[in-house]
Amino acid sequence: MNKPTLLLIDDEERILRSLRMLFFTGYEVHTTTDPQEALRIMRENQVHVIVSDQRMPLMQGSELLRIAREVSPATMRILLTGYSDMEASIASVNEGEVFRYLMKPWIGEEVKQVVAEAAVIAEATFAVQHAPAAVAAVPEKKPRVLIMDHDEETAQVVHEVLHDRCEIIWASDAQHAMEELAKQDISVVVSDLMLGDTNVGYILKTIKQINPQTQCIVVTSFNDTSRLVELINQAQISRYLPKPLSKSMLERNLEYMLERFNTLCSLPALQKRQTVAPISDPQEKQLSGNFASLLSRLRKVGV
Amino acid sequence: MRPEKNGGPESKVGQDILSLAIPLNPIAPGVPLEDVAELFLSPDYSNVLSLPVVDEGRPVGVISRYHFMDIYLKPYGRELHGRRPVSSFMGNSPLVVAHDQPLAEAALHVTQNMRFPLMEDFIITERGHYAGIGFVVDLLRAMELQMRAHSEELNDAYSRLKSSQLALVQSEKMASLGQMVAGIAHEINTPLGYVQNNVAMGQELFAQVQVMNSGYEALADSLLDGGASEEQVAAQLQHVTTLRSHVNPHEMLEAMQGLMADSLYGIGQISELVLNLKNFSRMDSVATEAVSLNDCIQSALNIGRNVLKDKVEVVKELGDLPKITCAPSQLNQVFLNLFTNAAQAMESNGHLIIRTWYEDDAVVVAVQDNGKGIPAENIARIFDPFFTTKPVGQGTGLGLAISHQIIQQHGGEISVESEVGIGTSFYVRLPVGNAAQRHDESSSNSALAMLRVA
Repeated sequence: MNKPTLLLIDDEERILRSLRMLFFTGYEVHTTTDPQEALRIMRENQVHVIVSDQRMPLMQGSELLRIAREVSPATMRILLTGYSDMEASIASVNEGEVFRYLMKPWIGEEVKQVVAEAAVIAEATFAVQHAPAAVAAVPEKKPRVLIMDHDEETAQVVHEVLHDRCEIIWASDAQHAMEELAKQDISVVVSDLMLGDTNVGYILKTIKQINPQTQCIVVTSFNDTSRLVELINQAQISRYLPKPLSKSMLERNLEYMLERFNTLCSLPALQKRQTVAPISDPQEKQLSGNFASLLSRLRKVGV
Repeated sequence: MRPEKNGGPESKVGQDILSLAIPLNPIAPGVPLEDVAELFLSPDYSNVLSLPVVDEGRPVGVISRYHFMDIYLKPYGRELHGRRPVSSFMGNSPLVVAHDQPLAEAALHVTQNMRFPLMEDFIITERGHYAGIGFVVDLLRAMELQMRAHSEELNDAYSRLKSSQLALVQSEKMASLGQMVAGIAHEINTPLGYVQNNVAMGQELFAQVQVMNSGYEALADSLLDGGASEEQVAAQLQHVTTLRSHVNPHEMLEAMQGLMADSLYGIGQISELVLNLKNFSRMDSVATEAVSLNDCIQSALNIGRNVLKDKVEVVKELGDLPKITCAPSQLNQVFLNLFTNAAQAMESNGHLIIRTWYEDDAVVVAVQDNGKGIPAENIARIFDPFFTTKPVGQGTGLGLAISHQIIQQHGGEISVESEVGIGTSFYVRLPVGNAAQRHDESSSNSALAMLRVA
């Protein structure tokens, strides 16, 4: 493969100069402070990875990345920001659909590694894009939707939205949720962050490690930016919806995620786009390890 | 005193009526006056002012010692009236108090109906039936005790309120400070990002250049030292050539020179941000000093930049101001509060106009925004503690109340004009001359001032 193309956007030129140097070898680097210019570059070049700042005077990074999704869907999107407000983090999931949410000041080696990983994935996506359009396989079975929430209302809203189009499973405790996840692949998980006393972060992270095609929608009234950022990077959650749930918002997103699940099943190359970062919390890592081995045992028995 | 566990509102403090009751045997209406004389003379009755007259359990009258003497001690009184029943002489409207009447009510009834000089005790009834007599003095003493207890309770409640008020004032300070610190911390992340990266890359490049330099040195040594073999020189030349193909020191060093300049600039930025924080907090200077309000405004703007920069254009029209002696850290807080409020009131295309001038021995600061304005029904309340129109959790409702308090303590005044849809102007006026320096008052007094505002 030729040198991958990297596009960097930040309103501070010194950041751009510094990053340009970091990627000097190994990449074709474009830099700009102007979001419109960034979009022009994306239209005219095959950009593998875009790394954008969040807070910029002309346009928010999450907004730029949302437009970038339309202009160049294969490009991998990364946010590199010094500001971690909740609003921006939510927008980076729901609109920007970012591959990684990275913080300033950054660690050179880490950013290099993430960008390199993203570039490989983008290259694979370009290859699929150029291949003859794959026929989206019509699913044989009803898609399975797992609700992980203590709150009955969530289950109710999902039922109202999906009726009997999907098999809907409601797990109101972590044990039940893990058993259901072991049985069969789930298309979409709709989950709160807390299930009773259990913080389900590690469950979502583990599922995503094993089944990248499964789409996770987090519904919560919980507001913690650093945990959200962790879920973006380590669980690649697809949506973060605030409670109380808006029925129409959930409906739109469920439809979208069911469709994406089908696409990912028929085009496995795209599954890599939601590759997760390793779990950082040592305790969660251990819980995740236990859960993963439980899953593999149960699946062997089940199948 | 008999504490009472259940009952009316009195039960918490002091006594009830029944506890005042003295179980005195009453007399029947038919008792002759000479028997009454005996009773008044007996030691058991020595301290009563009057005798209750009870018929079939119900009080029907009262005969006071005074009234009795009046009749009995007149010439031939005893002979004329001694055998007649007390009912002919008794007062028909005794002071009656029900046993379950609240103390205050009973005391009011008694004091309103008693005659001077005090000639009677009052009668206590339980569901209309005689239950004893009570001394007015006891009733009044019980009343006094109760009031004292009430006022202690009130004092307690007041000091609790005062301390929670202080806690709230503190939490408002912490909340606004926390927000600002978070903003500044974020702002530091940008220069820190590239400075750190540049230094890390510089270090790496330095190592590479070092390797390359030792390659060159070895080569030069070999060339200068006639003893080196041709193969040796060739190998060293090859080594240097290989190194050069990996690293272009010329280009890299030139780029790095630029990055080092950037880094110095970034460190300057970081220093400036830290200095702004320091100036704003004034932690390391005396509480009061003579400053120009223009400096306070600039300091608050530096700190508030984070909130303002994306959506607000700041226009400064700062006049020449004499210095005033004040607590700059407090005034900084006031201005920051006004600026951030203004920023929050403006959707987009905001203009924040800050003007200062000197008139009538006072400095005036006007902070004008073109935000959404304050509705007339709210404007009288904006300086009230806890008044907020922000959603729950987004404002303590104390910002302006505290600003108001700070300005008052400086002997100044703060006022507001606003029109919905047009914008809002705040005016802060501070005296220059005597500049009433009352801000050194203890903070408990500040809390008191706030309570008075409330």
